[in-house]
Amino acid sequence: MHLPDHEFVKPATLADSLALLRSASGEIKLIAGGTDVVYNMRGRLFQPDILLSVRDLAELQGVADTTAGGIRIGAGIRLTDLEHEPRVAAYPALVTAGRAVASRHVRNMATLGGNLCLDTRCWYTNQTAEWRQAKGPCLKNGVAVCHAIKSASVCVALNASDIAPALIALNADITLANVDGERRLPLTDFYTDDGVTHTIRDADELLVAIDLPAPSGRTVFIKETARKGNDFSYAVIAAGGEVAGQRVTGLRIVLGCLTTRPLSLQEPVRIIETRGLTDEAIDVAAAAARDELGPLTNLYTPAAYKSSLARSLVRQALRELRDATP
Amino acid sequence: MTTKRQVMTLTVNGDSHELLVSPRQTLLDVIRGQLGLTGTKEGCATGTCGVCTINNDNGEAFLSCITPALEWDGKAITTIEGLEAGGKLAAIQQAFIDYGAVQCGFCTPGVIMSAQGIVNTLDDPSEDDINDGMAGVLCRCTGHIKVKEAIRNVAKYKS
Repeated sequence: MHLPDHEFVKPATLADSLALLRSASGEIKLIAGGTDVVYNMRGRLFQPDILLSVRDLAELQGVADTTAGGIRIGAGIRLTDLEHEPRVAAYPALVTAGRAVASRHVRNMATLGGNLCLDTRCWYTNQTAEWRQAKGPCLKNGVAVCHAIKSASVCVALNASDIAPALIALNADITLANVDGERRLPLTDFYTDDGVTHTIRDADELLVAIDLPAPSGRTVFIKETARKGNDFSYAVIAAGGEVAGQRVTGLRIVLGCLTTRPLSLQEPVRIIETRGLTDEAIDVAAAAARDELGPLTNLYTPAAYKSSLARSLVRQALRELRDATP
Repeated sequence: MTTKRQVMTLTVNGDSHELLVSPRQTLLDVIRGQLGLTGTKEGCATGTCGVCTINNDNGEAFLSCITPALEWDGKAITTIEGLEAGGKLAAIQQAFIDYGAVQCGFCTPGVIMSAQGIVNTLDDPSEDDINDGMAGVLCRCTGHIKVKEAIRNVAKYKS
């Protein structure tokens, strides 16, 4: 089946791309690696008027040192190149998360910015067009119906990014650009609780860079999925903090792929920062994670499994954080 | 809206082509439909199974079924047809034959182009490298063992 009808444009510069994003009429989808966009176009979930390729924009490439002692990563960097970038090696959770995405084939195409912008997924919408037609429209089509969770009033499709939780645990900022200029914000504020407009990116904006502070403390990343080769994650977790024995400060625990936005846990962090990384405190913190997850009845596995998975991942991540060699 | 076709140039297996291409076509559509190179197969068409794998200008494996053709304007690719040179099979092809890594053949071009991606990018791939490079191809009724043996032994065939 051919892709849906659209116009394909590929401006030569970032400035031209931003100008077009502002001026073009009709719906524009940005495409870089294309591994999510083309897949969604095949399934007729995306039927844009214009596909705007930013794949080869030189301005989105490269990794540079920042004056703050950290690094700035161009949003257009391919995941394969991210793995081999020497400056990124100082952030092990990012390297591990990048390698965990899909297959080598996909990572040879997919970009970091694209991974952060992946469309949300749902057991209802991520089906064939015929399947969706039989069931009827939903919140993603502007109708106040949710087939995934009947009582839902906002779209509960799930975030699909493996890398976002790792970057949030590393306190990453992102920079969005439009023709008027740039704005920088913490990556965690990029996401919303609405699966339809799941990021705050305006239609005329482009994600251009990811900023990491100077490497500090320990970080860990764990992914759980069916098959390593290609499947979307059941869940991922990233954690980071300044660890000294069983004491930890500046702790971040971020669960991904279980909720509409990557979820930064609150109560488990408070428990561990108060009580330390003892086995007992870790078990209490892991149990407390469930209360912050909300409804889990969507995609791949039953809610009971996801609940238990979240608990296991929190426990495993915190133990690794404690036991990892500094 | 009517589809606006665009002229693009694409180098395939060393030969340069000027093509009139619709935005609706993927690289796979062009390779098979317009150039008649039917060695590359379409499986899932969603970037999952890996049978459409070809190599980019750096010799890396990637998926032609989820690449808009126009994205590759001015670039080069290698398909399974481009591995053999002057009547001599590429090292990886001979290794696949000698180690019995071929069965029904539908996925074999994608499997070989994935393996070639490993050969092109790594001089001495480890077991992990081989698993990493091949995990993106689901189909392979020979199982994984023979394929991995062929890749491990490909160095013997390089002249």
